[in-house]
Amino acid sequence: MDLLLPIAQVTDTGITDAGKSIALGVGAGLGSIGAGIGIGIIFGKEIESVARQPEMRDELQSIRWLGFALTEAVAFYTFIFGLIAFFL
Amino acid sequence: MSWVSELSTRAKVLLALGLYLGLFIVFLLIFPSEGKNEEFQPQDEFMLDAWIPIEIGGVDLSINRAVFYLVLASALTIWVLVWISRRMTTKPNRVQTAVEVAFDLTRNNIVGTNLEGRLAVKWFPFIATLFFFIWFSNVIGYLPLPTNSHETINILGINFPAFGIYAATANISIPLALTLVVWFSYHLEGIRTKGFFKYLAGWLPPGLEDMNPIGKGAIFAIEVISHFVRLISLSVRLFANILAGHLLLLFMGGGLAVLLGLAAIGELTFPVAFVFLVFELGLVATLQAFIFSILTSIYIGGAVAETH
Repeated sequence: MDLLLPIAQVTDTGITDAGKSIALGVGAGLGSIGAGIGIGIIFGKEIESVARQPEMRDELQSIRWLGFALTEAVAFYTFIFGLIAFFL
Repeated sequence: MSWVSELSTRAKVLLALGLYLGLFIVFLLIFPSEGKNEEFQPQDEFMLDAWIPIEIGGVDLSINRAVFYLVLASALTIWVLVWISRRMTTKPNRVQTAVEVAFDLTRNNIVGTNLEGRLAVKWFPFIATLFFFIWFSNVIGYLPLPTNSHETINILGINFPAFGIYAATANISIPLALTLVVWFSYHLEGIRTKGFFKYLAGWLPPGLEDMNPIGKGAIFAIEVISHFVRLISLSVRLFANILAGHLLLLFMGGGLAVLLGLAAIGELTFPVAFVFLVFELGLVATLQAFIFSILTSIYIGGAVAETH
């Protein structure tokens, strides 16, 4: 049992910190991938639609920013939950 | 510098990149690593020390940086709009033109497309105020100021706390308070227009008349959850955007160099910080105010709409 004690101490502090850092990094990173794909799709589709119907440009513009902000926020949700995991 | 203009574009780009990286290596040789810095805590930017401690009945109501920025944003909103409306001229100057563009945006794009007629007239002041308040709050949050508020400034024998960079909207309480106001007001507007039970029945999407009560109950439960999720999504969207922007600016504008004790890395990150400052000021600050107010008007419009 004495041999296992140092391992137990490592489990207590070091691995917890490592796990928190991984949670923040992986969470924010994976969230950014999803939001990145989503933002790409939004702008790609908008370019496509404007190319087909240039007279719709003004109407599409406000919808585009709405979609952009809603998608972008997803990345920040993961980031905030990562920060919660890191600091709590 | 005539030899620069003779180079091709490709060579110019490569030269600039080489200079950028070369300077980093030179700085790295001049200022070697000083070890990790344990004193500097980056989260201190968001620390709120009580400037004027007030405590009433166990509730902490101290005046701190967040309160100060909140008051500053409200005062700016009121002052700018009242000042412009008092001295309106038929030949507008630059400030009036800018405010008129923002007014037009809130009235036609944000309120006009989502609410109609009498309702738009009724809710326009509220939604426009939300837009301007959030916008001013975001923009004064990006004034490049020091992050550390430990030091005090001595003016005439009184120690004033150092004025640091902060945004009222980078603290979850303020977006959450705004969201609660929006949340209750759209429910109240829906109940006032349709009556309590008709409003609740209106949450069910149309086309479910033939469904059995259990299925209807399940869909109703999902709708209830979605209304509560709006509380989180609306507030966290604004808060997280501004917080992430501030953290990014903090780390890129020198925080990383101080934390790692590696002065040379500041040369690499500072241009990035400048680019992000332009991005945050030019796009994110306005976009988040726009999104918050347009979602408010979409929610109010959805609450009073005949079909869900």
